[in-house]
Amino acid sequence: MFLSLREIRHAKARYALLLVIMLLLTFLVLFVTGLARGLAYANGSAIENMPVNYFMLQKDSDNRFSRSMLDQTQLNEARSRIGKDKMASLGIRMSTITVDGGSRKTDIAVFGVDMSGLLAPDVIQGSAVADTDEGKVVADRKLEQSGVKIGSTIKDQATGMSWKVAGFTSDASYSHAPVVFMNELEWSKLARTSSMPGGPAEGAFNAIAVKGDKAVLAEAAGTMTDVDLISKKTAIAGIPGYSAEQKSLTMMIAFLFIIAAFVLTVFSYVITIQKTGQFGVLKAIGVKTSYLAGSVLTQMLLLSCTSVAISLLLTWGMVQVLPASMPFSLKPAVIAFTSLLMIAVSAAGALISVIRVAKIDALDAIGRAV
Amino acid sequence: MKRTMLALRHVTRTFGDGESSITILDDLSFEVSEGEFVAVLGPSGSGKSTFLSIAGALLTPTEGEVVIDGQPLSGLNSQKLAGLRLNKIGFMFQSANLIPYLKVEEQLLFVAKLSGMDRREAQRRAGELLERLGLEKRRNYYPERLSGGEKQRTAIARAWMNRPAILLADEPTASLDSNRGQMIVRMIAEEVKAEKKAAVMVTHDERMLHYCDRVLHLEDGKLREA
Repeated sequence: MFLSLREIRHAKARYALLLVIMLLLTFLVLFVTGLARGLAYANGSAIENMPVNYFMLQKDSDNRFSRSMLDQTQLNEARSRIGKDKMASLGIRMSTITVDGGSRKTDIAVFGVDMSGLLAPDVIQGSAVADTDEGKVVADRKLEQSGVKIGSTIKDQATGMSWKVAGFTSDASYSHAPVVFMNELEWSKLARTSSMPGGPAEGAFNAIAVKGDKAVLAEAAGTMTDVDLISKKTAIAGIPGYSAEQKSLTMMIAFLFIIAAFVLTVFSYVITIQKTGQFGVLKAIGVKTSYLAGSVLTQMLLLSCTSVAISLLLTWGMVQVLPASMPFSLKPAVIAFTSLLMIAVSAAGALISVIRVAKIDALDAIGRAV
Repeated sequence: MKRTMLALRHVTRTFGDGESSITILDDLSFEVSEGEFVAVLGPSGSGKSTFLSIAGALLTPTEGEVVIDGQPLSGLNSQKLAGLRLNKIGFMFQSANLIPYLKVEEQLLFVAKLSGMDRREAQRRAGELLERLGLEKRRNYYPERLSGGEKQRTAIARAWMNRPAILLADEPTASLDSNRGQMIVRMIAEEVKAEKKAAVMVTHDERMLHYCDRVLHLEDGKLREA
């Protein structure tokens, strides 16, 4: 600490520069990570928050809800094999609505669920919808931004059907659209109104949400007609656009880490090379190599910890001014992981310098050895 | 009888091997006692640096033994040697080679801290050395703001800080003019008497010798009295 701190004190500009580079990189990593997590959440929070861990889809539907079509046959099979309280049917379709007779259009995802079952939404404002209620829905509260209030009427553009919003739920997005939950009664009405001749049979839906042990569920799925069992994670990854979005953001984050590693390594190495003579003298007067290596490492850790701390503050400040509609989500675990990884990367970057320091010969200090 | 601070016994150092090997030091024996200030003279290439590196526990002799303050160096690992250099040997180099980012007083406190000296004791000792060398007004200066002579005086203070048995100086006047060089050599001599320790100065400058108790010439790998 003695040497590291005093050197930083003496060469403020040089270390400030390094600090700023690290700070910007860390900030960018945190920001892109938050964005990736936020987008992931906006894309699949409705699925993510369901109290189930597996889904049954029609065979060969590529893990996509929209390509899967199941009916009462499978539902009855599931009921008898898994148990009524561990499963629920789920109907999903994308739609466009107008609010209260206005002309502004909003995209939504319609979920048809059993309002007394596993997938019934938690109503945080207004009233819930019962299985027998007609013309009532529960909407995600993000629809408030489109002017929806409790009691508003929303009208489906394709079918002309309209529903009254009885209550709001939160954190329910699917494919970047707010979810509108309706009971099975309304869901079959919607299906009937919109289906073409030769379309799906009465009471069709997209998936069966199930919970329980994987082995048990897989066995049950094996005996059922024409279904595949997929995990919740796979189901979320199958939401249109999800994988493409997440993959490109993950690649950006990975590259930022690689860039950080290179920049820090080179910077630290150049500084160390510049100090070769000095390290030789220090070794000659009896400073142990371990002390010098520790000093190089301490310096790097001091800088990286400081820059991570500052960039966390910056990120926090940024979150305060971000519009609420911006998908951004940073959970403490993700923050901790990202910060620690950044610090680890900088320590790894200092490692080459440490090896270099170890190789410096004290003899260089004395004129020439020979 | 006076203590022997540094002894080289039948030291030989060769570089390279077989046909092309060169013998730099050849069965050299040498002793410095308490209170002695010895100058070793020799033209460049005579092996002065090798001699100093071996005496300073930086280089192992091919044959022979080095004893510093009663401690034989053979068999010590690099960690132990570093510790010995820290506590038993004070080094001065051609250019002062101070650490650029430490203030004058910190240069001394740093080596004291490494050797585990008590902090208050280190403060006191640093103050005393800086005063004796006329640097008390420069204690909070960085080396870049010191003159060449002041830098070398700081180097003297740093070398004596841990109360080493012996000070080894590698051409300490090389980067100074004659007057300043004289002053530095005089100060080394004074410190040897004040600290009751010993010093060996390697130089090729014959004008600096009148403060030395003994002058030796390094020729053909051996030391000869002048």
